Amino acid sequence: MQTILRTPKSAAISLGNSMTTELFFVQLINGIQYGLLLFLIASGLTLVFGVMGILNLAHGSMYMVGAYLVWYFFGVTGSFTVSAVLSALIALALGILIERVLIQRLYNRNHLDQVLLTIGMIFVFNSLQSILFGNDPYGVAVPDALSGSIPFTDNSSYPIYRIFAALICVAIAGLLYYVVSHTRLGMLIRAGESNREMVEALGVNIKVLYTTVFALGVMLAAGSGIIASPMSSIVPGMGESVLITCFVVVVIGGLGSIKGAFVGALLVGLVSTFSAVLLPSISNMIIYISMILVLLVKPQGLCAK
Amino acid sequence: MIFEKRTERIIVPMFFMVALFAPLFLESNSFFVGKVTTIIILSIFVMSLDFLVGRVGLITLGHALFYGMGGYLFVILSPEYEAVNFWVYTLYICSISALIALVTGAMILRTKGVYFLMITLALSQMMFYYFFDSLEYGGGDGMFIFVRPETSIFGLSFLDLDDPQHFYYLALFSLFNTLVFFKVVLRSRFGRVVEAAKQNPDRTEALGYNIFAFRLTCYVIGSALGAYAGFLFALQFGFVNPSFFTWEMSGMALVMSILGGSGTIYGAILGTFTYEGLQYFFEHLTKEWLLFMGSAIILMVILLRKGIAGYLEKLLEK
Repeated sequence: MQTILRTPKSAAISLGNSMTTELFFVQLINGIQYGLLLFLIASGLTLVFGVMGILNLAHGSMYMVGAYLVWYFFGVTGSFTVSAVLSALIALALGILIERVLIQRLYNRNHLDQVLLTIGMIFVFNSLQSILFGNDPYGVAVPDALSGSIPFTDNSSYPIYRIFAALICVAIAGLLYYVVSHTRLGMLIRAGESNREMVEALGVNIKVLYTTVFALGVMLAAGSGIIASPMSSIVPGMGESVLITCFVVVVIGGLGSIKGAFVGALLVGLVSTFSAVLLPSISNMIIYISMILVLLVKPQGLCAK
Repeated sequence: MIFEKRTERIIVPMFFMVALFAPLFLESNSFFVGKVTTIIILSIFVMSLDFLVGRVGLITLGHALFYGMGGYLFVILSPEYEAVNFWVYTLYICSISALIALVTGAMILRTKGVYFLMITLALSQMMFYYFFDSLEYGGGDGMFIFVRPETSIFGLSFLDLDDPQHFYYLALFSLFNTLVFFKVVLRSRFGRVVEAAKQNPDRTEALGYNIFAFRLTCYVIGSALGAYAGFLFALQFGFVNPSFFTWEMSGMALVMSILGGSGTIYGAILGTFTYEGLQYFFEHLTKEWLLFMGSAIILMVILLRKGIAGYLEKLLEK
């Protein structure tokens, strides 16, 4: 269970094994690509916490749901695009359902009750995964159009799908930025972050806003699972390992801050890919060490308000 | 009277009476004696966590750090094939863990809320990976304890830790002492300040109390007792491995303490027994016990506002 979301160590086929300029660039791209994916997952977590004040420990399970769904639909339909769209829609419905049936009952409770509820949800999702899909590891094939590699230099190349995934992450990040800073929904989200009561007093239906934000968070997590599925194996327990890494990301950046999640995700992505090559003996620990160092200097995270 | 509430005065004696006499009707090495011993040891761990989370307000997700420390310190410090004295090693393990808590606590207590939660998680994850990657301490397989300690005091020995029944009574005795200890601490002047600091840190600070020092002391106490529970657990099963340090361990203990009734101290016993009891029941009922377990937790958190202890208090208090 204690495996970090697979860092793409093996992505580049490189014949030289010393830290050459070439390897440096490959690792740099790997780190950025991994960081962008982490950002996509972490942004949902930090959004839900920032607006609703809910620490959703089941966020990693939503990532798992996305990956398993896309694997299932890929088996049925054979088309990655169709399965991705179907999975995202189901995730959206699931997000609305969870918020309406469960989360909504706990807005007036303390954080500990929310922790307990979301841990219960982790159990349920893990168990459903094992009942519905079994405990074998699965993989999703890279879509044909994106399956090649771009030659990098004479003896190394980089998979197209990873570049595509990074671009998708950038696109979604851009969209998220646009929604939060330039739309009415984004205005409400920002208002909800700074003063909940006032937003409600101004006649905004806060219930609908909360449901929207939670469903958006679930979509972001499940969407990351969908995007990551051709790059990593789909295994039981994948949700928990992602969850912990994401917590590190949002805490480094400052909880509730989307900008912080972006900075934190890139930092964690780069640090873990480079340490896997440069400091293999402590590469498992390094993200925690980074987090402690950041918190000792800035106890509220890098982009604290 | 250290037990302030009527519910405690009914539940606590009832529990210890049943626990005291139950093994007399069972065979010494029966499955249930061992199982209940484990649950009692876990209760000590959960209780020390409840003290920190529910009473001091230090929400930690890294309490397993000390659980693991308790086990590993024993294996590292004691000679491999020689029985050492249980009480002496209890003292060693608790003091060293207390020292670790003092040093780490002094660094991390500056952070608050979710940041504190994350930094404690980070510390326990780091220890997990340290022992997981270490060749010296058995890596992921952990290490065995070949000889259990002897328990003589001034040459008098009345406990044999190889006898499951004796071990059971040692665990029960420890649980009772832990409960009484926390109750006494919380009722003292010291405990009152801790309570005040949780409810209103600014005012308590304004009254001239150094909140940081109080919290640090509590962190040290809770951690040392958490380590003691890990030590007992390692002794019962005769091994230690890195899984002692996992965040799942901390999370499970947190679940048990909230389920029992956060901040009630005796609720830790209720929570641990309910959780483990449910798990045992569902495990024997179906292969998919996790589904039922998760659903039961979700139902309980929605229905019970202040855990099981809170529900009992509503029934029993006037």
